[in-house]
Amino acid sequence: MSDIPKDLKYTEEHEWVRMEGSVGVCGITDYAQEMLTDIVYVELPEVDIEIGQGEQVAVVESVKAVSDVYAPLTGTIVEINEELEDSPEMVNDDPYGEGWIFKIEIENDDELEELMDAEEYAAFIESMEEEE
Amino acid sequence: MKHTALHSEHIRLGAKMVEFSGWEMPVLYSSIIEEHNATRERAGIFDICHMGEFIVKGPNAASLLSGLIPTDINRLEPSKAMYSCLVNERGGTVDDLFIYMRDVDDFFLVVNASRKDTDLAWMRGHAPSSGVEIVDVSDETAKIDVQGPMSPDIMKAVFPDAGSEGLRRFYSLETTLDGETVMLSMTGYTGERGYELYMPVSASVSVWNRLLDAGKPFGLVPVGLGARDTLRLEAGYSLYGHELTEEISPVEAGLGWLVNSKDSHIGRDVLTSQKERGAPREIVCLRMRDRGVPRDGYPVARDGEEIGVITSGGFSPTFKVGIALALVKRGSVGVGERLSVMMRGRPRDAEIVPRPLYAYNG
Repeated sequence: MSDIPKDLKYTEEHEWVRMEGSVGVCGITDYAQEMLTDIVYVELPEVDIEIGQGEQVAVVESVKAVSDVYAPLTGTIVEINEELEDSPEMVNDDPYGEGWIFKIEIENDDELEELMDAEEYAAFIESMEEEE
Repeated sequence: MKHTALHSEHIRLGAKMVEFSGWEMPVLYSSIIEEHNATRERAGIFDICHMGEFIVKGPNAASLLSGLIPTDINRLEPSKAMYSCLVNERGGTVDDLFIYMRDVDDFFLVVNASRKDTDLAWMRGHAPSSGVEIVDVSDETAKIDVQGPMSPDIMKAVFPDAGSEGLRRFYSLETTLDGETVMLSMTGYTGERGYELYMPVSASVSVWNRLLDAGKPFGLVPVGLGARDTLRLEAGYSLYGHELTEEISPVEAGLGWLVNSKDSHIGRDVLTSQKERGAPREIVCLRMRDRGVPRDGYPVARDGEEIGVITSGGFSPTFKVGIALALVKRGSVGVGERLSVMMRGRPRDAEIVPRPLYAYNG
């Protein structure tokens, strides 16, 4: 069973957000990294770019597959995890900690309400697995 | 979806299963990179039961085969195997396969799971009305591979015959285990010294588990389709549906060395002409200089002009960089030259390198 921390918000594209004031720290979920397997490259966004909710913002490459990462919220990229350039495997090892991908200064608190909480995300994953 | 006889063993070993050519197969057990490295450094064991096997026998067996493949069948002798391909009239590839000569009129063929039915119809469609029997034994034949530098020690622990001198590269022998006949062959598709084993399905679980147990002290691990693909890509081996298709000739795929038969065979004129004058396209091997992983279907360009496409690409666990095979216009690039791989619309720098990236370690 995937690790789904209670204090985070989730998207259907398997991104997570941890709010720190007006800044959302974002990454991909434990479920996503498990599905992708060994991550070998993360293409990070540029700092200061403005991005809309649901827009493609980063790329995660595993040994076998390439996967887009979407912005869970509208805002401006304020920081990126440059350590992933040399150690992309941190996304596998610690997806909610050292494997964070970017931080976004959010514009619209209402968008947070659209994201899933841990319980909803767990049910979402379960429904996806049943479909398989 | 079809299951191999080893399905419950894979589940027990915690494999992640995926659909592949109609079969539910393990893609990985722990991690593609770990399984890849274990095979390169120690040994890996693979369930390859999904592949197709045919027996072609009778006084006309050799002549049927020599009419279907561009490779000289006379290079075989009993117990010897060779890699070749079935070719269509246009020189395209119907399938690539291994042919084991068991006796002068008795051949054992191993074909791709996705092409088995096509191959069978193709061969039967070209067979003479008598003097040859083509039997599909895929359902009753299990195949397990043991590959890697420690594989001889592991094999000898289970099959004492594996140490015999007769079992050298591209040769096979029959032995028994618990009364079941097992064919051991020193062949494989990983770039490592290794073995492919053929046995009745009823013997497969026992053989699998005995090899796993015997291999423990040598660091043997089960390996899924994910690492099987990264291993063969590093070794520069062709994969049907990628480097080889009905539209790609073996000469274009870099397998011109298979075209050496003096016998009349399907596609002969096209292939000999391609070999002498050059084929329109060629497969080249790429190593990324920029970050990023080349994937199947990505265009490749030179000086802004698109000249071909990636046929197989991925991340190389050995070299820790993106690598690929690409089908390009012949003569457009040589070893040491640069190409751009278009990754999601952005050009990334790659270098043409000699094929294979990883030389056979036998």
